[in-house]
Amino acid sequence: MSFTIQKATPTTAVVRVGKALDFRNAADFKASCQEHTRAGTRYFVLDFSGTGILDSTGLGVIFSLYRQLTPIGGQVVFASVSRPVQVVVQLTRTYKVFRQFPTVEAAYDALERSPAAGRATGAAPTGTA
Amino acid sequence: MNEHSVLIVEDNPTLRRLLEYRIGKHYDVRAAEHGEEALEFVETRAPDLIISDIMMPKMDGFALLKALRRNERTATIPFIFLTAKSDEASRAKGLSTGIDDYITKPFDIDYVLARVEQIIQRSQVYQTKLNARIGRDFSDRLMPKTMPREEGYRALFFSQPKEDGGGDLFDWVQLTDGSYLFTIGDIMGKGLQAKFYAFSFLSYIRSTIHAMLGSTVSPATLMRRVNAMLIQDQVLEETFASLLLLRWEPARDRVTYCNAGHCRPILVGLQGAGIIDYSDLILGLDPQTEFTDKAFTIPPGSALLCYTDGLNEQVTKSGQQFGEAGVALSASEALQAPQPIKMLLESMLERSADAHFADDILAFWLQRDAD
Repeated sequence: MSFTIQKATPTTAVVRVGKALDFRNAADFKASCQEHTRAGTRYFVLDFSGTGILDSTGLGVIFSLYRQLTPIGGQVVFASVSRPVQVVVQLTRTYKVFRQFPTVEAAYDALERSPAAGRATGAAPTGTA
Repeated sequence: MNEHSVLIVEDNPTLRRLLEYRIGKHYDVRAAEHGEEALEFVETRAPDLIISDIMMPKMDGFALLKALRRNERTATIPFIFLTAKSDEASRAKGLSTGIDDYITKPFDIDYVLARVEQIIQRSQVYQTKLNARIGRDFSDRLMPKTMPREEGYRALFFSQPKEDGGGDLFDWVQLTDGSYLFTIGDIMGKGLQAKFYAFSFLSYIRSTIHAMLGSTVSPATLMRRVNAMLIQDQVLEETFASLLLLRWEPARDRVTYCNAGHCRPILVGLQGAGIIDYSDLILGLDPQTEFTDKAFTIPPGSALLCYTDGLNEQVTKSGQQFGEAGVALSASEALQAPQPIKMLLESMLERSADAHFADDILAFWLQRDAD
């Protein structure tokens, strides 16, 4: 198990995917993300810096997460996408679905500013202070 | 720590704790005081092995065993009696119930541990063998026995499934207008589950194609239907698949295709290899996905190579994956060979870090004769 999940806000979590997301840890990954989703997380930033392996089982659990979040207004975005991960994303054309950001911070900022994020939190104030 | 679980059923608290402690060092252990409690435990999660006393309050060991054997789900759980009943009649009665061992008290804990390990290991071996057999059976059914025969062309196919591989699939059908429809896909995931889904998925694709061919021969239209099914269907809910549908018209040397996130085909010619590059999103992800038909011509002397990710994800001597470029390079070397797929694979293995392919491999080679 190489990933770690950190809650950044009540609705956003940053997942440091680590060295590999594959058939060995995909089930753990799925279970952990589901736990966060149940606890209210709607936005997942997947940090792929240094990720050398993303196999089809690993990609499958990211898709599951996407399928689970989309109907409830959530999002999955990618940050610091490593070369091996980029290859998989290109091959499966999934860059059409997962927005990519150069850094976790950039992803986080975009999610914070996105109107969708504001709507999902419900009570979030509108307009700027 | 071993992930296998052992259930101990023993009414004597001291002995129960001793077993829990010693066996718990090696296995995930739960302990019940009598047969009734054991059945409740088994109901929530079936252990990999049960060690049970015979004489216990509420429900004794024989009654417990009988209850387990009656239930299909629990009938095959390995079972050991650990008992003070050392007389021959009891031993005979115990062994006649088809248990795995009958150990009498006082017992040697190391002997008990050794037996637990042996029995769990053996049942795992059977399970693995059974899975492999079912997996092979699925794989066989997922692959065609024959290939199309058309003048001026060679259509070749090769697949080599791995027991722990994924769910590759390949199929073809001839349409009434003389064209052919090829299906090449890969169900995401590994092992028996992926193979099972590939099997159900292929059946669905076959029937979809069959049902729709009266109204369309467009790969993209078929693809949209298959995508909608993957997203709506309850059984296939968590299934994602890459799929390549190709319609080949030999009379026009033309291929119309729709690619849902599958490995992109390679068109190998005398002047080198090119990637058939357009593709759409993988299946099962988004109900709104648009799929597009694209077409190209197979020039004389050229070959179209379609494959699954076992090829491009194979690792080269330098520790990198072959990728599309690596596969294309070996494909170019194979173009003039009498057995192109064999040559392609040999060429790749020569450049591989390992002497074998790590995953399932599947290759479809459609070569047009030179003028």
